[in-house]
Amino acid sequence: MSDINSRISQCFLNVFPDVAAADLPRASQASVPQWDSVAHVTLLSAISEEFQIELDDESFESLTSYLLVVEFVESRIGKT
Amino acid sequence: MTLGQALGLVRERKEINRRRKIFLICGFQPLHLATLLQGHFALRFPDEGADIQTGLYGDLEGTLAIAADSEAEAAALVIEWSDLDPRLGLRSTGGWALSVQADILQSCRDRFARFLEGLELLAAKMPVALVLATLPMPLLGHTAGWQSSVNELELQKQAATFLADAAPIRGVSVAKSEPSRIDALMELKAGFPYTIGHASAVASLVVKLLFPPSPMKGLITDLDDTFWSGIVGEVGVRELSWSLAEHTQVHGLYQQMLRHLSEMGVLLAIASKNEPAVVEEALQRDDLLVPAKSFFPVCANWGSKSHSVAEILRAWNIGPDSVVFVDDSAMELDEVRTAFPAMKCLLFSPKQPAKTLELLEQLRDLFGKPTIQREDGLRQASIRASAAVREAGESASDEFVRGLQGRLAFDCRKDPSNKRLLELINKTNQFNLNGVRLSEGEWLKHLEDENGLVVGVSYEDKFGPLGTIGVLAGRRVNDQIEVTSWVLSCRAFSRKIEHHMLDRLFKKRCVTAVRLAYGRTDRNQPLQKYLASYGLDVDRDIEMLLSREQFQRHVEDLPHEVRLQDDV
Repeated sequence: MSDINSRISQCFLNVFPDVAAADLPRASQASVPQWDSVAHVTLLSAISEEFQIELDDESFESLTSYLLVVEFVESRIGKT
Repeated sequence: MTLGQALGLVRERKEINRRRKIFLICGFQPLHLATLLQGHFALRFPDEGADIQTGLYGDLEGTLAIAADSEAEAAALVIEWSDLDPRLGLRSTGGWALSVQADILQSCRDRFARFLEGLELLAAKMPVALVLATLPMPLLGHTAGWQSSVNELELQKQAATFLADAAPIRGVSVAKSEPSRIDALMELKAGFPYTIGHASAVASLVVKLLFPPSPMKGLITDLDDTFWSGIVGEVGVRELSWSLAEHTQVHGLYQQMLRHLSEMGVLLAIASKNEPAVVEEALQRDDLLVPAKSFFPVCANWGSKSHSVAEILRAWNIGPDSVVFVDDSAMELDEVRTAFPAMKCLLFSPKQPAKTLELLEQLRDLFGKPTIQREDGLRQASIRASAAVREAGESASDEFVRGLQGRLAFDCRKDPSNKRLLELINKTNQFNLNGVRLSEGEWLKHLEDENGLVVGVSYEDKFGPLGTIGVLAGRRVNDQIEVTSWVLSCRAFSRKIEHHMLDRLFKKRCVTAVRLAYGRTDRNQPLQKYLASYGLDVDRDIEMLLSREQFQRHVEDLPHEVRLQDDV
């Protein structure tokens, strides 16, 4: 697992402690019942803080799954 | 603290021995502030958990009322400009044009008045940390950004008046403003206006206000190049200085700080490597900014500093973890730190004024306390008297104790405004039944319990008054009293006051036995020794039963005159 993936996973696990690490790649707003609007804001804030990325309006709406978050972070900071 | 750290802290904690309910009252979405509050709480109390209760978005007044009726033991009231009038927030488009400013100001005035009423009701039930308007002032006014407008100043005046009215309310602690940080995106998307850094700063402030650390009790200072500029043994008494004119003002500032601490009731002592006679002469200079009589004991000798520090701790009868040692020599600090690892050892840097200022600020934080009690003013004199008592009668013979002509006053009123009793419970280590510390909220609940009882004891004798020096708290259950807290200040040892306290309980209507919620701690050996004298087993943490017969067999005539202020 790349450094980016493991840091993103840690953010997810902090916000969704009941999700198993192995299930994270398939995690999405639709599949994780605890992923409500409050958890969404908390997750994106944790990601923004971890990678020092400034979030914009659009990313708030679009980052609705683990894979989308990984893709977004990689596009902002480049692959390791 | 970052959000990730707070989430991690809350998630990783396994052993939680106690849960506390804290009400977070705010008009915005509590989001990260609640998480960070839990995170800072977890740092402060590693084996306790905080349940954060919150109210409805945008209804601060309603939440204030709900909190007052809740089971919470403490509350944080965080008010932002938009709670006073939504037009002062980013999520409203009501505007702040000139034409509506008078209306906004009136609405703020009304809201402040209602918040104050709600705050008074809330603070009667639990301690409240009040945080007001940490975000930037809204874009109110017609002036350019570098000029204050009349309406902006009016709003600031209302805020300052509100805080000045709120601060004296019993149970309310007002936070000092943190630099403001607004996160516009989060406010617009999620209704949470703070950046994470700012939310963490506010959460940290709230935890400090609601659960303040115990203040330090004593300060031991070096003299040469610390208390004054110069080495007295070399330059002589007249050449010592601490003034602006002689470019040694930092020592004057330090002396001023010591005077301030002394008036707050902090114990001061001197540990100096010098000839005792020279130090005595220097301390007689009448231009010292702190009177020489504020220091007890004064240890001037050529032995090690740690030896002097040990002597001072014996005279004060307090532990090294409640004491700060200040010296300009890193080597001396190291020597004392090695002997007393729990002691806070701080470097005085006379050549670096900025470091001196940092030191003074640190001292303020270490010794700061929410209120100053009458006992604080008596402490220094009573420590001298206690030393005399110990010297004169270490074994505390009956004859000696009677010769003190002691007078005890028992006060059994359940008065929430008497903060001294809770302070004693939370800072006494040696004669302490179990070491359990109580939050202000828990104490208020105990006072409201109709079967609960509280006994405060004050004492004076021919050496002078000691003020309130003992507390016993518990509940009446049938013909027994269950004692949950019992403390006696170390200044009052060797006077048989503990016998009088138990005697008071047994004199109450038909009490046949006292149950003691005993817990052994690293520091409560004096209490252990006392209980062991009744034949009780102090090696295990168990509830103990002391019967009236056991007590009466052990205790005969009591030495002091007793006055009752209000019996239960």
